[in-house]
Order: sequence, then C-alpha cells, then structure tokens
Amino acid sequence: MITFDSVVKRRGERHVLAGISCEARPGRVTGFLGANGAGKSSALRILLGLDRATSGRALIDGVPYARLRDPMRTVGAVLDGSGAHRCRTGRAHLRWLAHAAGIPLARVAEVMADVGLTEAAGQRVGSYSLGMGRRLGVAAALLGDPPVLVLDEPVNGLDPQGIRWMRTMVRSRAAQGHTVLLSSHLMAELEETVDDIVIIDRGRIVAQGTLTEVTGAHRTLESAFFHLTRTEDGR
Amino acid sequence: MTTAFRALRAEGHKLLTLPSARLAIALGVLLPAGIAALNARSPHWSGGVDAGFTELGVGGAIGAILLGVVAVSSEYTTEGEESAATRQIAATLTATPARLVALAAKLTAVGLLALALAAAAGVATFTAVHLVRGEPASAVTAGRVLGVQVYLLCTAWLALALTVLTRNGVVPMAVMIANASVMSVTYLLSKVTDAAHYFPDAAGPHMFLRGVATGAHVAPVTAGLVMVAWVTAVLAPAAVVFCRRDA
Repeated sequence: MITFDSVVKRRGERHVLAGISCEARPGRVTGFLGANGAGKSSALRILLGLDRATSGRALIDGVPYARLRDPMRTVGAVLDGSGAHRCRTGRAHLRWLAHAAGIPLARVAEVMADVGLTEAAGQRVGSYSLGMGRRLGVAAALLGDPPVLVLDEPVNGLDPQGIRWMRTMVRSRAAQGHTVLLSSHLMAELEETVDDIVIIDRGRIVAQGTLTEVTGAHRTLESAFFHLTRTEDGR
Repeated sequence: MTTAFRALRAEGHKLLTLPSARLAIALGVLLPAGIAALNARSPHWSGGVDAGFTELGVGGAIGAILLGVVAVSSEYTTEGEESAATRQIAATLTATPARLVALAAKLTAVGLLALALAAAAGVATFTAVHLVRGEPASAVTAGRVLGVQVYLLCTAWLALALTVLTRNGVVPMAVMIANASVMSVTYLLSKVTDAAHYFPDAAGPHMFLRGVATGAHVAPVTAGLVMVAWVTAVLAPAAVVFCRRDA
C-alpha cells in the first residue's frame, strides 16, 4: 500500500505539488495521469526519498522509503530511464545493485532473461536503445522481487512490442496481489492498463477513483481528463 | 552494519567496472613511474633525496584526483533524451537510501583504491629508478612511504568532496589537475602570501619530500594535519549538502 498524505513540494515560489493525498492499493494498478510538468514525477521522487517534501508524507506500508529495512526487496522503481552509467555493461549495472541490496548475483541473469536482455547483458549501456534502457530499468526494479512497483512513464520510448510487454508485466504483478503505481500522460495506454486513476493538474489532484468512476459520464478517459483539467480561459 | 557493508561492496564494484576509474588508477601508477624513469635517464640526473618521491607527488596525485572526481561525477552524468543511460544517482539512492551510508561507502571504496594506487605507484616508481640507475633510490623509508599513502588518500578524498559539491567533474578536475601539473597557482600565490604554503598541494608533499626549497618549512606531521584539515573542511559541507539536497 502506497500513501500520499498532504504532500507539498515548493521550489522557490513555485508549487510543484500543492498538497496531494491519495493511495495505491495492493492487487491493483494505479495510474497518475497528468500533463508534462503536472507534478507526477516529483510525487514519485518524493515517495522514493530522492526529493524532499516541503511538508506532508509519502509512505510505503506506513513507512517512509528511506526507513525501509530492505528497500529493494520492498519496492522496485523505474524513474527516468535505467539509472545506468553509459560506460558500464547492463550486467555490471545490475550486479552493483544486487551487491547494494544483498541479493544473490544469480538473480541478475534471471531478471535479464525476464526482460529479454540476455543477449545484450555484456554490452555497454551506451549502446542500448531507449527501449532496452527501459527494460534494464525494469530488470533492476525486479531484482528483489518486490511487492510494490513504482514506474515513471514506463512506456515512453518503447516500441509496440515493448508497450505490450510492459502492460502484461504490470497486469500480472497486480494479479499476484502486488501494488503497482505508474505515471503516464498517455491516456489510451492508461485506459488499457490501470484499475484506479489519479488525475494531477498543476500540482493538485483534480479527480481520483476507479477508472469507471473517473471517466464517469464521459465517453473516454481522454474527454474526462480535458473536462477536469480545463483552464478558466477555456483552453 | 550489513547495509554499510553491502553499500561498500556496491561502490567497490561500481568503481572497478567504470572505465574512467580504471584509467585513473593506471595513470596514477604509470605516470610517476614513467616520469621517474625519464628523469633517471637524463644526463642532468642529480639523484638526491627526493628521487621518485617528487614524481609520486605529481603523477600519483593526478591519478588520485581523477579517481576521486569520476567516482562522483559518474553518478551525475546525463545523456540526451534519446539515451538509454540516465543519471545513476537515482539508482544509487534508491538502493541505499541512507545518504550518509551511501557517501561513507563511496569514501571508503575510493580510499581503499587510492591506497592501492599509492602502493602500486610507489613500487613501480622506485623499481623504475632502480632499473634505470642500477642502484636503489636513496632514503626510501617507511615514514616517507606512509607520507605518500596519506597524501594520495587525502587528495582523492578532497577531489571526491569537491565533486559532491559541484555534481560535475569539470571544475574540480580543471582546478586540481591544472594546479598539480600544468601551472601551480599555489606556487605563484606563495610568492605573494605565506598562507599559500598551507594549500593542500603545497603542504601535503612535505609529508614525504625532504629537499624542497620553498620559503616555509612544514614538518611531515604538520603537513599531514594540514591535509586532514583540508579534507574535513571540504567534506563536512559536502556531506551536509549531499544529505539535504534533492538528488
């Protein structure tokens, strides 16, 4: 279970997040939907302890990420690409992560096979495509076989095959009772993947609930989104 | 404790699989040995009490600086939007969210490699002098060898701490390496003010150089304390900033 409790993030004068409260529950895929710059990534970075909230709390099973006893066995995260250095091989990247988390090195080959990177394991990350980088990020997230997954824009840069693979992976994790929180600005993709949805607009939550609840009387999630995030000047 | 040990293993693995860190170690070993060999072949060879040590103080330091810088700058390297590689710091801090532990692990890993670099550089440099001259370099004492170790360790840590503050390797590398090799700003400043004798690259080598003819005499132990003071002065704010700022 992931909980955001009145999370505020200010950068200088700007309110990146103006007090968001929402949840992502086990056995369900929850999607953050919002335009670029709406605050989705900031919320996820605060959840993972990378950025500091100005006020409020983001918790995983009631505990801040930084205080988890075994973070990589609890939460798997993919933020903004692979997080791998270009000069290191994909395998070496996963190995240092396994060392850091106390995960047996045998697991590295397993997750590389899971994401279809076995053949590229010995290549430097600099030679990977964007899609391979995403897969490497997912491999890292799966290293500790965690019950919670956090994915920032997971299908960006993926080809159709990759998008389908990602959707299947996410759905099967939720079917196993895991918690999945992902962010996206791709509405059609979210409609195919998520159970619950949280719409963020300029740092505020404008709607949350099940996909059906949020779509409401609108024909699609997209028309609901534009209705909910309409600005006063009628854009 | 286990978290700290795991983080140290991860940092060690990271450094050993980073080509620029390997290059730093190779440079730090080969540069002083190479320069010492060339100097020993020169017809102007004067031998002297600092043969080999002078080269370790410059060439070894370049390797140590590079090692300290790339250990941190590699965390913040960014590529274009279309690249599969992204800033590693996010992965580092999700794997080890306790920031002080993450930083201590990096310091320890860099420190251990800097000590190994210093040991290998010492052996290579004095062997080079011995081979070229047909006789061992003079006055290679345990105390002076320890001095080289401490100097290169502190230099690597100083470079690391500076790079934590800048999050980019260019400035610390330019300042420290240019100062150590191309043109010593410290040396020029020492003509103006005596305080410059207590800059790290001016005071530190007094731990192992015996024949330096500079204005101020700094005793080996004092030199070591000056280095420790510099490291502390830069590392303390770097640690505070690293723990507080958004990754």
